[in-house]
Amino acid sequence: MRASAFALILALAAAPALAADPPPASAPPGAKLAAWKDLPDWSGVWVGANGSGWDSASMTKGGIAGLPGAREHPPLTPEWEKKYQANIARVAQDRYPDPVSFCGTPSGFPRSMSIPDGYEFVVRPEQTWVLTENGPNVMRIYTDGRKHPGPDDLWATYTGDSVGYWEGQTLVFDTIGLNGDPHTILDRTGLTYSSKAHVLTRLYLTGKDTLTATITIVDPEMLTQAWTVTKHYKRQPPGSRIYDYACTENNRNPITATGQTLTLGTDGKPIDKTVDPGK
Amino acid sequence: MNIRLPLALAGAATLALASGPALAHHSFAMFDREHAVTLVGTIKEFQWTNPHSWIQIEAPDDKGVVKEWSVESQSTGTLSREGWRPGSFKPGDKVSLKIFPMKDGSPGGAFVGAVLANGQTLGRMGP
Repeated sequence: MRASAFALILALAAAPALAADPPPASAPPGAKLAAWKDLPDWSGVWVGANGSGWDSASMTKGGIAGLPGAREHPPLTPEWEKKYQANIARVAQDRYPDPVSFCGTPSGFPRSMSIPDGYEFVVRPEQTWVLTENGPNVMRIYTDGRKHPGPDDLWATYTGDSVGYWEGQTLVFDTIGLNGDPHTILDRTGLTYSSKAHVLTRLYLTGKDTLTATITIVDPEMLTQAWTVTKHYKRQPPGSRIYDYACTENNRNPITATGQTLTLGTDGKPIDKTVDPGK
Repeated sequence: MNIRLPLALAGAATLALASGPALAHHSFAMFDREHAVTLVGTIKEFQWTNPHSWIQIEAPDDKGVVKEWSVESQSTGTLSREGWRPGSFKPGDKVSLKIFPMKDGSPGGAFVGAVLANGQTLGRMGP
């Protein structure tokens, strides 16, 4: 099963044109519903341990997304490298708006696996839910043997469509149908992905209170080969809670038409010394 | 170290920090993360809200003129798990706040740490 999933990724990486074909579901033929007793304990509240940069391992400038000079080094196609450079230039001027700063849309997958605040991973035999406090984002991963919808029944969304299966106590799932650039980003270095992105995720415990995700993106528009990053999540103390996150409740950082992030005083007026013309 | 902003400092707290608060909702490029400063003043208002909580503090600038500063912190969920509560800051409290100030000199910044009226520390006051 594992071999077949990776074979899919490798095949897509080697021959990007295949990504235009109807994507196969990752649930292997004959997959059975897992028994409750065989499912791992992922209960509680979790917090990401890797910051908000998508790939801190390849990131320059201290690994903090959003600072001028910070970039990652994925295997980008020439076209996407141009796009990334243009975005990096906007970051350098602090004029690269993060879509979530507008308080209207969620981060979307796979960025939702790399955001601040709390996480919950709710495991049931027929599906797993990844719930993020920030956003919020709600992700449903079907493990009941279903396949991805066919082309006529699949449209791009923030979260995409995820199907998977249990390989022992590792959840393996496959995500397509993502809207991508310009609706969602990977992080504030200016890194984005296309609507052709196909993501394979493996989620498993690497310690009693450490959950690990290896996330492989295959994207024929963005990447010349598959790109894998690893994320870790730490379980918070027993009794921890997840809270409300209403982005429009008190958003004192509106974004101007030029991409400037303002800071408002309690009177609703910018305290910034300068505000771009044409705001 | 040069202080780029005319701020009231307590203990000449200019600190070069490798990391700091991860603001969830928007770019934090407007903050000077290389030069934290400490404000000593009186709480005017505490907004326990999302996507960020805000501390309004009245503190003197380098000329002794009291200004109202807007200090931005994180979401209520994350803060609550770090020991914050809606009553952590009350109007009239005398507190010290360490912040990454706004680069343009505006009276605002990103929260780094605080010493409350009762002596409790939130966030990180040390280097």
